[in-house]
Amino acid sequence: METVPKGEKAQDTLKVRVWRGDAAGGEFREYAVPARENQTVLDVVTQIQREQEPDLAYRFACRVGMCGSCAMEVNGRARWTCRTHVKRVAAPGEALEIRPLANLPVIRDLATDMAPFFDKWARAGGTFQPKDAPDGAVPAEFSVVPPESKQRREADAGIECIGCGVCYASCDIVAWNPDYLGPAAMNRAWTLVNDVRDGARRERLEAVSGDAGCHSCHSTQSCTERCPKNLDPSSAIAGLKRTLFWDSLWGRLR
Amino acid sequence: MTHIERRSTDILILGSGGAGLLAALHAKSANPELRVTVAVKGLLGKSGCTRMVQGGYNVALAAGDSAERHFMDTLDGGKWLNDQDLAWTLVTEAQTRIRELENRWGCFFDRNPDGTIHQKAFAGQTFDRTVHKGDLTGIEIINRLAEQVWARGIERLEEHRAIALIRSADGARISGVLLLDIRRGGFVFVQAKAVLLGTGGGPTMYKYHTPSGDKSCDGMAMALRAGLELRDMEMVQFHPTGVLAGPGTRMTGTIIEEGLRGAGGYLLDGSGQRFMHNYDPRGERATRDIVSRSMEREIQAGRVNAAGGLWLEMKHLGPEKVAKMFKGMVERCADMGFDLAGDRVPVVPTAHYMMGGVVFRADGSTALPGLFAAGEDTGGVHGANRLGGNGVANSTVFGGLAGDAMARFVPAEGELAPPDEAALDAAMGAALAPFGRRPQPLGPLRDALAALMWDKAGILRDAAGLAEARSGLDALEAELHAAGVADGMRGFNLSWADWLNLESLILISRAIVAAAEARQESRGAHWREDFPHTQDDAAGLHHTLVTLEEGQVRLSWREVAFTRLRPGQSLLTPQAAE
Repeated sequence: METVPKGEKAQDTLKVRVWRGDAAGGEFREYAVPARENQTVLDVVTQIQREQEPDLAYRFACRVGMCGSCAMEVNGRARWTCRTHVKRVAAPGEALEIRPLANLPVIRDLATDMAPFFDKWARAGGTFQPKDAPDGAVPAEFSVVPPESKQRREADAGIECIGCGVCYASCDIVAWNPDYLGPAAMNRAWTLVNDVRDGARRERLEAVSGDAGCHSCHSTQSCTERCPKNLDPSSAIAGLKRTLFWDSLWGRLR
Repeated sequence: MTHIERRSTDILILGSGGAGLLAALHAKSANPELRVTVAVKGLLGKSGCTRMVQGGYNVALAAGDSAERHFMDTLDGGKWLNDQDLAWTLVTEAQTRIRELENRWGCFFDRNPDGTIHQKAFAGQTFDRTVHKGDLTGIEIINRLAEQVWARGIERLEEHRAIALIRSADGARISGVLLLDIRRGGFVFVQAKAVLLGTGGGPTMYKYHTPSGDKSCDGMAMALRAGLELRDMEMVQFHPTGVLAGPGTRMTGTIIEEGLRGAGGYLLDGSGQRFMHNYDPRGERATRDIVSRSMEREIQAGRVNAAGGLWLEMKHLGPEKVAKMFKGMVERCADMGFDLAGDRVPVVPTAHYMMGGVVFRADGSTALPGLFAAGEDTGGVHGANRLGGNGVANSTVFGGLAGDAMARFVPAEGELAPPDEAALDAAMGAALAPFGRRPQPLGPLRDALAALMWDKAGILRDAAGLAEARSGLDALEAELHAAGVADGMRGFNLSWADWLNLESLILISRAIVAAAEARQESRGAHWREDFPHTQDDAAGLHHTLVTLEEGQVRLSWREVAFTRLRPGQSLLTPQAAE
């Protein structure tokens, strides 16, 4: 049911459809939210929880695109809600439709369980392993790595991923194969393969070489298209494939 | 009898910022047999403020710089209110920790063209010593630490909010922590041999504030309730440039970085005139506290724009250059609907950091055996004002040291002590109380708190305003304790979370106001319109102490121990000090 609060003109009100439910299922419900000049999708969700539905569940933290806690599906597309201005996703008079991120278990309403996403990050070998110190000792000096070197540039290309899950929720392969490591985890693996300080190249390449790894990617590129940081996980996965090809050709992998 | 799940661990860490994650990694590395558990209000590595660090990490590395010089800058910035032994630990241990962050945990900091570590200039320092990763240093640090934690058999209690520190039945030590499992909406008591308080501060009780929106001073509030002392709570740092995007948006108050003014950005009043040179010869490049106070004076004089704030303008530097130099900031402003490179952005000063906090020792230990603390929950390192770049150094240095200390403490002195069951029941009862009352929207209460603290205990303070703040907070506390939350779905109930947040914020606001009323001078971040001068340090400098006794905030003083230097002295030779 659409309701317009008394005293507000219809054009001053946003129509919002919000998915309410849990792992067992759910449905969309409609809300009317006062439209404001400066308003993000997160502000809309906040207004509904604070003023209309006290038990609406959602997650956020930093509110400025640094923590990656607040991603949701907005009008059919995964986005950070904190940095998505309503005007950018809904034309005047158009409704907003907000769902929890796809490809992750729903906890309740708009909050998902991101544990599988981070577990895969670890499974893809997304943890730095110092080259010089397998025993845990810390090298005293900083590695000398010119910023213009090819490896530093390739490592930098994907290093700023904040782990928001937008690529993961947008990935068709994850939807088909729940074991698939996904774009963010392999973007991290590729970043480390290019990190001259890292000593676990071989283990990492093995970790991404299986059925759930880089060879499953069909390069549909939704990850790259939707990354809010304009990173390119699709190219990172291609880089892993290429490296695995040459390494196996030269017998560097089992 | 309220149902409660009981578990135990060797070391329980509250918080997953720089302090919590370093403590977890250090404790686990020192003794892999120990069970280490990290409990966090949100998701591991995503909550809190270390992640939000833009600037970087102060550390003396380069030839010509020294720990002594960093120490002197820190004391000068802190107006000699610092605990000097803590400040010395900060500057020396930072030299170890930065190497560990880069070489062991994988942080990849920016380099000079020759491949060596780059250190940039930051306000209030006599040497360019701020290590960074672009203008997103915090993300690099926390991402690398979090992925190390995921891979190391450290237990995670995500979306578990700490409610109360529970003493042992005999009261002699900590027994554990009462937590709320946010997803289930049920209580968990985690008994532990050692506990780290690393939840972070964050002055989010102010109308305009920069910290992560999930912060609510829970750690300091729990410490007060557990009988610990908080020091220097009047010292709240305000940052000059928060975005003023209007009411009803979480964007308002969020920071746009200091470097914009450093690069030559203008602050303009409502009519488009620059004003900073009326206050300080350095203009827009004056220190954070001076710029914030000057802006507040302009705002109080009514020289404001339609939004009620001032303007930040960069376009005279060339829009293309600005877009290149400050890519992240330009993109962020664009997402908010503002053109930073080619137009003006409405700004207002914004509450940023709390220098005060729990009294602690350099190894993280506190007055309560078994309880350790590190990071913004603690006070003493920064004195009356924090240098930009010393915040993340503080949390990672002292988090790591606390992790080492807890790994030593647990086998030697740790025990799983039975909890004070009455205290546990009382804490659960207090947290559940709002469900027994008639529900009401908490928005008006939150807005009233934010306005009260901003107007009466903010950037420019005086006795009359602080007295109003004190009585206003009493009234708000009474109102909160009469306010209910609708019962029903307790799992992931953000209204209940809001109520609990407000309870912490009001208590810590009372601590801030009590300390601000008591300090009848202006020092560092604390400015009294009725006492605009800084007292003579030589006459003896004291820091404030706040405790909670039978629900009443009590204030006392303790003399600052000048353990290394007296005001006016320097560790640098006259030549080196130039």
